[in-house]
Amino acid sequence: MPTLTIDNQKVTVPDGSNVLEAAKRIGIVIPHFCYHEALGAVGACRLCAMKFSEGPVKGIQMSCMVPAQDGMVVSTVDQDAQELRAHVIEWLMMNHPHDCPVCDEGGECQLQDMTIAGGHGIRRYRGPKRTWINQELGPFVEQEMNRCIQCYRCVRTYQDYCGGTDFGVMGSRNRLFFGRFRDGRLESPFAGNIIDACPTGVFTSKPFRFKTRYWDLEEAPSICPHCSLGCAVVPGGRYREAQRVRGGINRKTNGFFICDRGRFAIDHLNHPDRPREPRWKGERTSWDDILERSRICLQQVATQYGPESIAFLGSPRASLEANWLLSRLAGSIGSSRLVYDCQARRDRTARSLAAQLGQRARSLEDIRQSDCLVLLGSDPLGEAPVLALALRQAARKGALVAVIDPRPVKLPCDAVHLPLHPGRLSQVMEFLGSGMPAASFSRQQLTILEGIRERLQRAAKPILIGGADLLGPAGVTQLFQTATSLPTNEQECGIFVPLAGPNSFSGALLAKDNDDFNSLLDDVLAGKVKALVCLENDPVTDHPERIATALGALEFLLVMDHIPNRAAKQADAFLPTTGWAEAAGSYVNNEGRMLAVAAAFEPGLPIRETGGGNYPPRQFESVTPGSLPQAAWQLLAELQELDLNLHTIHVELEAADPRFTGLSLLAPEHEGVRVRGSGQLPPATEAGFKSSGDTADLTLLVVDGLYGSERLSSFSATLQAVTEAPQLLVHPDLACRLQLSDGETVTLRTELDNVRLTLKVDPHMVDGLAITTRLYGTPLEQFASGSQVPCRIDKGGET
Amino acid sequence: MELMNKLLPQDQLEAFRAKAAAIKHPRELIVDLLRAIQDHHGWVPDAGVELAGSILGLSVLQIEEIATFYDKIYRQPVGRKVIHVCDSICCWSRDGEHVYDYLQQKLGIAPGQTTADGVFTLLPTCCLGACGDAPAMMIGLTTYGRLTPELVDAILNKEKA
Amino acid sequence: MADYPQILFKNRRPGETVFFDEFRKNGGYRGLERALKSMTPAEVRETVKASGLRGRGGAGFSTGLKWSFFPADQPGTKYLVVNGDEMEPGTYKDKQLLLADPHQVLEGVIVSAYALQVPEAYIFIRYAYEECSRNLERAIEEAKQAGYLGPDILGSGYGLQVHVHRSAGRYILGEETSQLNGIEGVRANPRSKPPFPAVKGLFGKPTTVNNIETVANVPHILTGGSEWFKDLAVNPEGSGTKLFGLSGHLERTECFELPVGIPLREVLEIGGGMRGGKGFKACLPGGASTPYLTAAHLDVALDFDPLAAVGSRFGTAGVTAFDSDTCMVGATLNLMKFFARESCGWCTPCRDGLVMVRWLLEEIEAGRGSRELIAMLRDQHKNIAGRSFCALAEGAMGPLEGLLNHFEDELEDHVKKGYCPFKG
Ligand SMILES: Cc1cc2nc3c(=O)[nH]c(=O)nc-3n(C[C@H](O)[C@H](O)[C@H](O)COP(=O)(O)O)c2cc1C
Ligand code: SF4
Ligand code: FES
Repeated sequence: MPTLTIDNQKVTVPDGSNVLEAAKRIGIVIPHFCYHEALGAVGACRLCAMKFSEGPVKGIQMSCMVPAQDGMVVSTVDQDAQELRAHVIEWLMMNHPHDCPVCDEGGECQLQDMTIAGGHGIRRYRGPKRTWINQELGPFVEQEMNRCIQCYRCVRTYQDYCGGTDFGVMGSRNRLFFGRFRDGRLESPFAGNIIDACPTGVFTSKPFRFKTRYWDLEEAPSICPHCSLGCAVVPGGRYREAQRVRGGINRKTNGFFICDRGRFAIDHLNHPDRPREPRWKGERTSWDDILERSRICLQQVATQYGPESIAFLGSPRASLEANWLLSRLAGSIGSSRLVYDCQARRDRTARSLAAQLGQRARSLEDIRQSDCLVLLGSDPLGEAPVLALALRQAARKGALVAVIDPRPVKLPCDAVHLPLHPGRLSQVMEFLGSGMPAASFSRQQLTILEGIRERLQRAAKPILIGGADLLGPAGVTQLFQTATSLPTNEQECGIFVPLAGPNSFSGALLAKDNDDFNSLLDDVLAGKVKALVCLENDPVTDHPERIATALGALEFLLVMDHIPNRAAKQADAFLPTTGWAEAAGSYVNNEGRMLAVAAAFEPGLPIRETGGGNYPPRQFESVTPGSLPQAAWQLLAELQELDLNLHTIHVELEAADPRFTGLSLLAPEHEGVRVRGSGQLPPATEAGFKSSGDTADLTLLVVDGLYGSERLSSFSATLQAVTEAPQLLVHPDLACRLQLSDGETVTLRTELDNVRLTLKVDPHMVDGLAITTRLYGTPLEQFASGSQVPCRIDKGGET
Repeated sequence: MELMNKLLPQDQLEAFRAKAAAIKHPRELIVDLLRAIQDHHGWVPDAGVELAGSILGLSVLQIEEIATFYDKIYRQPVGRKVIHVCDSICCWSRDGEHVYDYLQQKLGIAPGQTTADGVFTLLPTCCLGACGDAPAMMIGLTTYGRLTPELVDAILNKEKA
Repeated sequence: MADYPQILFKNRRPGETVFFDEFRKNGGYRGLERALKSMTPAEVRETVKASGLRGRGGAGFSTGLKWSFFPADQPGTKYLVVNGDEMEPGTYKDKQLLLADPHQVLEGVIVSAYALQVPEAYIFIRYAYEECSRNLERAIEEAKQAGYLGPDILGSGYGLQVHVHRSAGRYILGEETSQLNGIEGVRANPRSKPPFPAVKGLFGKPTTVNNIETVANVPHILTGGSEWFKDLAVNPEGSGTKLFGLSGHLERTECFELPVGIPLREVLEIGGGMRGGKGFKACLPGGASTPYLTAAHLDVALDFDPLAAVGSRFGTAGVTAFDSDTCMVGATLNLMKFFARESCGWCTPCRDGLVMVRWLLEEIEAGRGSRELIAMLRDQHKNIAGRSFCALAEGAMGPLEGLLNHFEDELEDHVKKGYCPFKG
């Protein structure tokens, strides 16, 4: 921890920090462009000049390139240093088009800020400027090269950090073009990060283009709801329209970057079919009326059939506060029929994780720092995209990344890949733990596995990464046994398992040892359950099996949600809730980290719709159109006639359940705290997909994809534009046995449905299995992710 | 296939493939490969960049990043022969500018252009290392020094053939 | 002048190339035999250090000292890179060695590689020097045949592999760290130091980069001894001979091997004085990046320290002379066009600052200048010199500095007259 003097102030900084960072620590921010905490220092822009008078280096130096050392004496206000900075800005502005009035970056433009800070006013250069023809980079990113100041941040983000290979820098001298070989969509699933990385308006968000000035944008720090990692993001809206998401900073989770799913999914809040009014049996009504009726109905059912006749379905996407108030409602009524995920397998897997994680919990930061990462049945780009980014950072430092998975798992870094049938993951874990190889391993498979096991044993910070959908509850339990039985290293082997939703983990904690949704449906069909309360969950879409009959058998169905919800169509009471970014609350990510989100804007019908694009709108009402939705936690409080606010909820929650201690102290942008203590396991069942194996000659594995498999983002028009039509993946040998060839149309026959798909032959996957992606809005949404379904594949498209 | 061989003769194609497979850092070969394609095809078209990428297992962008860094890799069509006239200090001091002007009149083209018959493209270049024989120019890979209008005429006639 | 000892040019006959047999006949590969048969690598390094040999690539760093930083005795992959980029205007000396006597260079490469105990060496040759590359490749083949190159050289157990890397034209590749990137096939921007190539160089392995002429001297040092080499120089602090490439307005623009420390006046005489009997106005003493010398400097000894003392640099000893009719604003503008065009585009002072300087000189040369523009020239110089990422922009400031220090009157004159006085 060196101590140095900057502008006569002493500052002590962690080893390895540079002088620019050191100055920042004491509030002295020196203009800089090429330096970025996550990308490192390259000394290209020459803007961060300081004068060094004592220490190993003397004179004017680039502070980003000088490691802070004891005894250094540095001045940031030195005449020469300031003069140089002014010149660098002047040079950078030589070619700049001065088009701030029409530039989307205006107001949040580092170049604007630095130009002011650097004291540059008038351009003295009168020579010719270099200009460019821009490229068409696809639906996410808009390019305006004339604004470029060549800080190389975009390339370093896209290539070095994110591992993309289709975007880079071409040319030399003062003719540098940052783009693609030719027009076309940026291929990296992390492409949007160059929007955040670019310090000026070269790369801006296309969907957000010309929508709002930064200073008019209503923004607030939040957490991404599109997977379980809990990446920090900053949603922004204006005129009651959710308009954009940019990456937030949390050094423990995502760091600085996010994925394009998280960045471009926000449309779901503006969805034209979004339900915005309380409805009683389909009829619009008032809040007071519907809350009153709902209370009465729940009362009646409880008194008539007993408290256990009312069941509750929480949600992996609802806030922790709402999920907890749901359990409190159940408790106050006296019902133990409370479940947090209608996909029983995912529910059980989450609970299996929450029950065993404990000290083995690891963060994305731990993964970036790890030297050995073994993925078992996990495909990061489908299940938790930013995990892939963390893996890359580890790989760049020399970590081994090994993937054992039936899928042709694609990662933005080098990895050892061993394609194996999901059924054999258990043997693999057995071997990694005990060193006892299953007889069925081929010699080649065994050498790969031995290599991996050997690295695991040598590793200083090994982490096992499991795929919830492929491993299932039993698999996750075995994952822990594997970690435990691994001959111990410097640091005990960590565990990281992405879950289904941003709050799957808190659901798993709140679900106690209750039985799962399947048994709950049994009870409904057996007439034991007469009422069901659905909190931001849509069992009709996510658990189609038996659900229609079940809902039919109910006397009272209450649904709360903010997206088009199929169950809501049958609901007696429908209560519209605020969507993500419209209410404050908390999430617990897949490593048990509690994270707070703030409300960025109020719910309401976008003026784009009400005013047909005109502003101000032409018709006037006393209430803001579409502003009725209320936070789910509020509605649940009112149903129980409790007078609560978020703070009192947190305090009471901490008191009622010490595992959540620390919640009341959390603020948005806080890096979060881990929950204390673990969850419980549900009653055991005979797991596995119930199948009438008859006509089946083959197994279909249904998995999550990058786009289209996560409910909220599936409503995003921006993402729909890039979501690939569903394909059926098979190994060349299987294709050969079935006499099918790449690219041809086939019919996939299962007991649920027949689907037309394009066949994709991929040598990097396992043989003897057909794989497809679960896509909302297609017949494939009927299959739970991770389920293995007996199927048949027929030539041709006639279904 | 024909396209490929228009870019690179089969034997060279295989030689590069073999070498790329044999060495630890195939990237090492980018400049050699681009130069080979250029020698054979006259310049490096997009298809050449794509070919280089496929041989070295790199993306087209990764090749283009290098191709566009160097100024003796031609990413645009050029004549059968490229005339590079040195415009650096020693040649400047020995009336290199006049040689440059003379070539432009003689060929009837401006720098960067190609003669109608497609034989010559005229480009400037920095110091050729012929400073002792200034003014100098390079046609293809041959350097000519101590240029005078008469000498230039003679050289052009020879190079045309 | 022929009585100056000819060491590097011993075998040189204009228009001819000496290959293996003749090279051997004239005593070639003796240094290599001496080294591999009777000297340890450390002894070779010591002798070179004692000889006072300084880098001929321009920076003039002590070769022995540079080698002493190299982990020669540490096992594992290491590289020697021999720098034949030679793209600095006014510099054409390495070319003469490669055209006349490729084996001499190769012997230097092998001996240096032995001294540094590297198993692999790259010789980097610029695009325009195709003939040199071919000569080297032939020399390499011949040396292999004769057992002077290969897995076990002269049965000494030491083995070496030599590659010739052909570039595709960019001045920046002469900068050693850019050159490493160039060989690796990544964009040839310079790398930041530390880490120095000796620690983390080519493909991340310890690497030494030396100039063609530098290594060519090494075998001679071993055969002649370090004292002999020192004494070749005519100034006390100097050592060795140097190839002087004369150019510009001199009568005889040829490359001569002359003793280090020879006064400028004598070099100009050897060059036959100014063409057409004109007066001497100024010269670049060591390539395009070295501040001008003027008539006031005729007696300066041409060597690193004496030239530094008068605010210039020895550089590559490419002497470009200008006669009394030369417009120094125009000359400097020409140089600035070169540097601005050859900038690699990595750092701002060079990429954009040099364009600014070029524009200022264009304005002044075209008679559109003003006192403000001259003042701007000065503050551009102040803020570019020493501020760029690598030494390219630093070098570009050399001639500008010379212009501002010695020829301000010419600048003023352009501004006053509103046209270039030399164009009339
Ligand atoms: C812009 C630039 C261009 C250079 N060009 C050359 C060159 O063409 N040949 C060379 O030997 N050194 C060149 N150098 C110097 C090299 O970086 C390096 O110092 C030299 O090759 C070391 O060899 P030496 O110690 O034997 O001189 C150049 C340096 C810079 C900054
Ligand atoms: S000074 Fe900067 S831009 Fe110029 S060559 Fe060096 S690194 Fe590149
Ligand atoms: S300046 Fe023209 S060859 Fe050197």
